[in-house]
Amino acid sequence: MLLFCWGFQGFSQELVHNTFAATRVINNHSNIMLPKQTLEFIVAHKFGDIAGSNGGLQNFYGFDNLADVRIAFEYGILDQLDIGLGRCKGVGTRTQLLDGYAKYSILQQKTTKIPISITYVSSLVLAYGKATADSTSVTSYPKFLNRFIFTNQLLFTRKFSDRFSWQINAGYNHRNFVEFNDQNGLFFAGTSARFRITKFLALLGEYNYVFHPSSNNRHVDPLSFGVEIQTGGHVFALHFSNAQALNENIFIPNTTSNWLDGGFRFGFSINRQFKL
Amino acid sequence: MLKQFLQFAAILLIAILLFAFQNITPGRYSVYEPGNRIEKEWLEKMSVSEVLIQLGEEKPLHHVATVHEDSASMGKQFVYFGKLKSDDKDVPRISKYFVCTDCHNQVLETDDPSDESPDRVLQYSMENDLPFLPASTFYGMYNMEHWYNGDYVKKYGDLVKPTRDTLTNAIQLCAIECSQGRAMKDWEIRCMLHYYKTIELKISDLKFSKDELLDLAATVGVNNKKAVKILKSKYNQINDAHFGTSEIPKIPDYEPNFEHGKFIYQNGCMYCHTPDKNMTNFKLSMNQLNFEFLARKIDKYNQYSIPHIVRYGTYAVVGRRQYMPMYTYENMSEEQLLDLIHFVKTKANE
Repeated sequence: MLLFCWGFQGFSQELVHNTFAATRVINNHSNIMLPKQTLEFIVAHKFGDIAGSNGGLQNFYGFDNLADVRIAFEYGILDQLDIGLGRCKGVGTRTQLLDGYAKYSILQQKTTKIPISITYVSSLVLAYGKATADSTSVTSYPKFLNRFIFTNQLLFTRKFSDRFSWQINAGYNHRNFVEFNDQNGLFFAGTSARFRITKFLALLGEYNYVFHPSSNNRHVDPLSFGVEIQTGGHVFALHFSNAQALNENIFIPNTTSNWLDGGFRFGFSINRQFKL
Repeated sequence: MLKQFLQFAAILLIAILLFAFQNITPGRYSVYEPGNRIEKEWLEKMSVSEVLIQLGEEKPLHHVATVHEDSASMGKQFVYFGKLKSDDKDVPRISKYFVCTDCHNQVLETDDPSDESPDRVLQYSMENDLPFLPASTFYGMYNMEHWYNGDYVKKYGDLVKPTRDTLTNAIQLCAIECSQGRAMKDWEIRCMLHYYKTIELKISDLKFSKDELLDLAATVGVNNKKAVKILKSKYNQINDAHFGTSEIPKIPDYEPNFEHGKFIYQNGCMYCHTPDKNMTNFKLSMNQLNFEFLARKIDKYNQYSIPHIVRYGTYAVVGRRQYMPMYTYENMSEEQLLDLIHFVKTKANE
């Protein structure tokens, strides 16, 4: 946090803009808000394992498999308030997911006096698939509320220079219905960074640490690296990640692939904004 | 009877104005110069169009006899917000892509309306920190007589023909084509005219030399046509345009001006491309990465090349209606384009 308070120079404008290029860094939310009356369309894919037992040439390094796909529409109600609605294929047993979120910009970094941006994100997932008859399964959903997963988090973001931006996020994930011996609530903290090589090209990285995941769960912390390409209308993020899911409600508690076992995959997202 | 009285009063007032300058030293000066005995407030209210009518000129087609405050206020809201502030659902936004103020200033862009050359406009804009925009100011638009002249026909084709002598048609073309919006209703255009009338040229805006004033005094009442000619020589009546090419200008011995280039970048390019506005996906700032990017593209033949984008702009296409208007020779000189290129290259190499 001390680094966040480090003073800086070089910006001529009052508000600091373009900390990140899009509303997501890779999978994590960023502090970027959609301008008022702006609609964003997002399509994101994650393929199968590149290496390991499920990867290799026989699966064309994961391209023959689809881990997750998400299509979403997000909208800027105010310059400080966004909402979003999406649909994910889902991974593992949790499939057929509707997701939604609301994001509020509490504080925005300025050239003077305000060194960081603070953003609050509240998101949820609704698994709308048919419940299974197996009462021991997490998809048996005895009650409708069992289908929900919630994540609330705060993002602390700072643009250090024209090239480098850094974000720390911390939050709480709650699954209403979990496997036996698993725990409903998980605290997590993460970090994301962006380094711009040129005006339209940047390197991305993000990591989320989950505190005290269940011992019977083969949990692995999600770690992702990517390249961001802006085209002056679209933002493309090409990335490699050990997380299979695209939504924080799923990839934070349910990432089980390990980079060291070849359990990482290629993915991409395309963001396009429309002014309404 | 009333008309004759008004004519007499106007002539008398002009005569008083002329005598008021008798003791002032020759040269170009404004009626605001200390020592004159003309009431400043009166001069500010005395519109050029009213004086012309008093001198026997025909009323223009867009003539507004009396400004209605409410109409002018609504016209101003259309100009600044593209809609009414009351968010009346029966009055949808004219365009979701642009508002008038994105391209048009609402104040004088020069200290002498008879000289709207890019150099004069840049100098005045720098002195008054005005946006350096690609379209004509609305201030004095009411006093113009011809619109969409010159090369505008290359861009809009026959659509410009009905606009060339009719301001209401010009407004409609601007709403539909320039701002890629909807057709305006008659009452909305009338509101715009009432607003235009509030920002028409005043006698106090015009610059006269002593000789010109004496000449004017000698003709008023005697040869009104000549008086009209003198008055009209003091401001521009034609909205003209000449399009350039994407070649980097070659002007022997010209030393580009860094400060001019900086002003054009900040008050021209960044006026629309600033991240503060949600106008375009191509954001510009004083960020070093921007200058490096733009400097690399200067010699290219695409929309990221400064000479190309300045002179051609972009065009509205299906799926991407928002576009960048071009800077014509009337709005940015070749020297100023070189200033801009020089500024970007210098910043990129810092």
